[in-house]
Amino acid sequence: MLKTFFKLFVANTRQFFRDKMALGFTFAFPVVFMVIFGLVFSGADEFQYDVGLASEDSSQTGLAVSEAFKQIPIFSVTEGELENQLEELKKGGFRAVLYIPDGLAESIARGEPVNIKLYYDPSQTTSIQIIQPVVREFVNGINQMLTQQPALVRLQEESIQLKELGNIDYLVPGVIAMSIMFLGLFSGLPLIQQREKKILKRLGATPIHRANIIYSQVFLRLLLALAQTAIIIAIAYFLFDVAILGNWLMLLALILLGTLSFVGLGYMVAAFARTEEGAMPVIQLIQFPMLFLSGIFFPVEFLPDFMKPILNALPLSYLGDGLRQIMVEASPVFNLSTDFLVLAGWLLASLIISIRFFRWE
Amino acid sequence: MVITVENLYKTYGAIKAVDGISFEVAAGEVFGMLGPNGAGKTTSTEIIEGLREPDSGSVSVLGMKHGRGSDKIKQRIGIQLQAPSLLPLLNVEEVLDLFASFYKRRISVKEVLERVSLTESRKVLSKNLSGGQQQRLSVAIALINDPEIAFLDEPTTGLDPQARRNLWTVIQEMKSRGKTVFLTTHYMEEAETLCDRLVIIDYGKIIAAGSPRELIRSNFKESAIQFEMASPPGKELLMALPGITQAAIDGTEVSVYSKNIPASMGALLKMAEQDENGGLLNLHVRQATLEDVFLKLTGRKIRE
Repeated sequence: MLKTFFKLFVANTRQFFRDKMALGFTFAFPVVFMVIFGLVFSGADEFQYDVGLASEDSSQTGLAVSEAFKQIPIFSVTEGELENQLEELKKGGFRAVLYIPDGLAESIARGEPVNIKLYYDPSQTTSIQIIQPVVREFVNGINQMLTQQPALVRLQEESIQLKELGNIDYLVPGVIAMSIMFLGLFSGLPLIQQREKKILKRLGATPIHRANIIYSQVFLRLLLALAQTAIIIAIAYFLFDVAILGNWLMLLALILLGTLSFVGLGYMVAAFARTEEGAMPVIQLIQFPMLFLSGIFFPVEFLPDFMKPILNALPLSYLGDGLRQIMVEASPVFNLSTDFLVLAGWLLASLIISIRFFRWE
Repeated sequence: MVITVENLYKTYGAIKAVDGISFEVAAGEVFGMLGPNGAGKTTSTEIIEGLREPDSGSVSVLGMKHGRGSDKIKQRIGIQLQAPSLLPLLNVEEVLDLFASFYKRRISVKEVLERVSLTESRKVLSKNLSGGQQQRLSVAIALINDPEIAFLDEPTTGLDPQARRNLWTVIQEMKSRGKTVFLTTHYMEEAETLCDRLVIIDYGKIIAAGSPRELIRSNFKESAIQFEMASPPGKELLMALPGITQAAIDGTEVSVYSKNIPASMGALLKMAEQDENGGLLNLHVRQATLEDVFLKLTGRKIRE
């Protein structure tokens, strides 16, 4: 029994590593994904907006204000004539232009309000949402400085994270969840292939216990999932300085459970699809909604309310959430125990359906 | 008897794939099931192998019944499926090694490779094997557990004549070791050469059973004499010769059917001596074949 299992496992492993397509899909794809994500998002903290500055006030105060504006860390400031700056803004060279009119110091001395103008392109919604409040805050700061009145109520900001988390920290668990989903969903394909080529029938014509065929396949998938995760974590750690904060045992348990759940889904596909060609669209149909609706790559708050029930039904939501909680101690969307339970539920359901409908021939 | 089959029935929808088949196979014989494609050979074979359930009827293999005893039976029989069904990304040796591990009793991979002449290809991935090599590997799997009965389902279909002869040798070797071989084929010549006994099956029914020689003898009393003549005599003249019951002339080719070969031959040779255009060419006496038997029993050729 154990020997049969082991022999089949070795045979499956050999075949897997000789199948360049499957190999590339399992290992190269997550690595490429991880590196691209890492390069795009790991520098996000130092991200700067190009902003133009046109100051016509060359007084002491005017220069001080200009200088202070240039110090704002998320702005990369270029000075110039207002007319040229606005031209540049229209061309898209700047996200916004700040205009400081002449006579700033005199007006302040006379106690008259002065307008500092912020020009922006309303079509650039995302950057404006960030630039506007920053500039507003900056102007408030100047006012306070000039009036010399201390602010009575101040906002003290403090992150509840033990460690400062960047975008990349959130994305690593997402990439792992995605890879596990792919690995699991596609695990039905070798089975369909072997059924089509009558290999399952051939193996069934020997005295072995047929369940061994499945067990040995699933075992290989579990090992592949662990290898895949280890590679992703290693890239994240060595290249992009993402450390795992949580409990490693818990992480292992979640990865194994998640893999089993998605292998279950993959086998469910294999139970219904007769051919590989027939299985592919079904797999796509399952994976694409999950990829976008389960919040593994962007926060689910963006989703309209009517889509929330979908999110709550998808197993990937729970795997992503659980991984994020364990790996980077992100704030939970669900309870961690809920994550485990829902995944176990999916596993059980897909198992029952697969066993009921799977055909060996 | 190592195989006993009684009143086997199996229908798929409206099609009666197996329509009341009974026969017995004795230990040590090469038993053939001969019939055209779709006659029900594979279905019958797979029921006997325990891969399919019959609608009704009983099968006993090595004195055991399928169901609970199936694993015990499978330990002692070798199965070659009609489709090669090989794991494409394993090489020849790895495939055999894997299947060998499933059995308690087995012969070495090296020996099996030699028997089916695949030793030189042992490191080739099975997807890269030629059709004939795949077929031989598939037969090798059926031999790996040194089975008491080997079931070979159309093992030579699609093979070139050379590869076919190779497989015939493998089967004859099995027989010489005292093993039983259960063979299905739609090649008459193959059945005639290899089988001790056979059943001819058509539309799920057995239409004839016996040794090849018996089958031919019971259906044909005459033998055919064939020859070529530059200017053949008329049909009436040929029919008037002793023993000849039927004659057919096609250009220079002549076939006559005779129930008394020596008398007919003597007369034909005398006629040839007097012939001024070179006498008889390519003279040979041909036995009726199983092909002729199938033609006579069904009115069809076996491969159409």
